[in-house]
Order: sequence, then structure tokens, then C-alpha cells
Amino acid sequence: MKKQGKPFAFRGKYLFLTVLILYGVLFLVNSETTLSALQKSSTVLLKILPIIALVILFTGLLNYFLQPKQVANHLGRESGAMGWLWALASGVISHGPMYAWYPLLEDLRSHGMRDGLIVVFFTARAIKIPLLPMMIDYFGWGFTLVLSCYILIGALVQGWLLELLERK
Amino acid sequence: MQNKQHKGSGQRPPFWRVLQKSALSFFAMAPLLLGVIGLVGLFQVLVTPKMLASLFQGNPLTDTLIGTLTGAAAAGNPVVSYLLGGELLAQGISLYAVSAFILSWVTLGFIQLPAEIEVFGGRFTLYRNILAFVFTMLIAVLTTLTLQVLS
Repeated sequence: MKKQGKPFAFRGKYLFLTVLILYGVLFLVNSETTLSALQKSSTVLLKILPIIALVILFTGLLNYFLQPKQVANHLGRESGAMGWLWALASGVISHGPMYAWYPLLEDLRSHGMRDGLIVVFFTARAIKIPLLPMMIDYFGWGFTLVLSCYILIGALVQGWLLELLERK
Repeated sequence: MQNKQHKGSGQRPPFWRVLQKSALSFFAMAPLLLGVIGLVGLFQVLVTPKMLASLFQGNPLTDTLIGTLTGAAAAGNPVVSYLLGGELLAQGISLYAVSAFILSWVTLGFIQLPAEIEVFGGRFTLYRNILAFVFTMLIAVLTTLTLQVLS
């Protein structure tokens, strides 16, 4: 008989525990640095909370409107060139740190998203649209344009290569 | 029971229930995300941008490798990598190294490796990171060479 669903379980408990121990040990050695690290972490957490809320909403909407078969059609084996383009575009427009997107990608992967597209998404994130003016200011138009083009090409090649490697 | 009914009739569950499920799967990942965020905070305090910048030696070849590794080890907003990259360029560090540094800042991350392994599995994480590492250096070299040719 098929299981109805995965039972609820926290993930990354050991990582969290290790980090807690690290903070504890550091606090004994240097409490000021530890408090400063804690403050930095809190700032990061506060910054990514809206992104996490957005990703939860986005995951909900995707799960509501798209059946697993449709996900597979758009992002699975049979997605074709459009799948690669979707991954590329969504990587470029995605915001926030990479790990904020892990749950959504895991969900899509369980519905049939191919691994190559996940790699494309991760690499395309190197192009940050809101930060482009700053990059142009620091490194110039030429650099920004050439680097962005190579990132897009590199993203597609990496996705393709990953699937070749996984087939071995 | 309800699940069976949905499956049987082909009806969608209500949106709030789907949203609740999504929120729950995020909640299950909370220790993982908090662990990574904790490491980011620790890293930002213990490893200063100046420490990273001091690792560069002025040799384009080794600096590209150092740029990739330091970018992968660094954590924080990519804006910081642009600021640092600009400073490194002003100090005479090659564009190869600076390109590798700002690119690996986003595409690679030692700190988030445990979370990536937990979510996507060891094999995927290993392949993706090796590819990202190689391609970061390749893109850095190609970008600089292309700019040299164009100028």
C-alpha cells in the first residue's frame, strides 16, 4: 500500500545543534563576538523573512494550480527548450539567498522538475537585476554585459553537463 | 478520507490547505535554515572582508583560484562582493581574480553545503559544486579575455 504522505519531521536538526554548540563555545571564549554574530544572524533572518513568506505563497500557488503532471510538462524531461528558458528566467529574477529557494525547488523536484534545470536556476541567480546598476558603476558596461552573457551560457552548459554526469 | 475523495473526484483541496502544507514543509526546514543563517552570522563576524582581500597575491593564475575559493567561503549580500571587488581592482588585483570572486560569491557556498546535501542529496550537490567551481574560473577567464579582445 502506498503511504498517504510523509510524516512531519524537522530537518537539519544536527546542523542546528552543531551551530548552537559553536555559538556556546564561542560565547565562553568571547561573548562580545558571539553577540555580534547573533545580531548579524538576526539581521539576515529578518531580511529573508519576507522572501520566505513569498516563497511559501509561491509554492502554495504552484501546488494549487499545477498538478504534478503539469510541473513535469513544464520543467520535466519533456519540457524541452521552454523548460531551460523558464529556469534561466526564474533564476535571474529570483531574489534573496540561495537556501531560501531550497524548499520550493525540492517540492518542484519531487513533482518531476529535472536536475539540470535546478542547476540552471542556481547559476542564473548570479545575475542580480536590482544590482546591475551598481555592477555597471563599479566594473563598467562592457564587463557587466560580457559577464552576464557568459553566466547565461554557462548556466545552460552546467545544467546539461550535470544531467550527463547523473546518467553515468 | 478527504484525500481519497479529492483523488476520486479530481477536485482540488482548498487553497488555504495547500498553503498550510507549504508553510508546514518550510517549518520542517526551519532548523536547517536557522543553522545556515547562524553560520552566516558567525562567518561575517569572524572573517572580515579585509582578511579575504589580504589573501590575494598579485598572480593572475593563483589569484583566480583564490578568488573562487574566497568567494565560495564568503557569506552575505552580493553588494559586498562588488565593493570588495572594486577595492581589489584598485589594489591592482587582476580582473580574472575579481570576476571569479564576485561570481563564486553567488554560485558557490561552503556554508550552505550541509543544507544543500540535506535537500538535494550528496551526488547532486557534489556534481553541482564541482561544475560551478570549474565554470566560475572558466567564465572569469573568458570574460577578461573577451574584454581584452574588445578593447
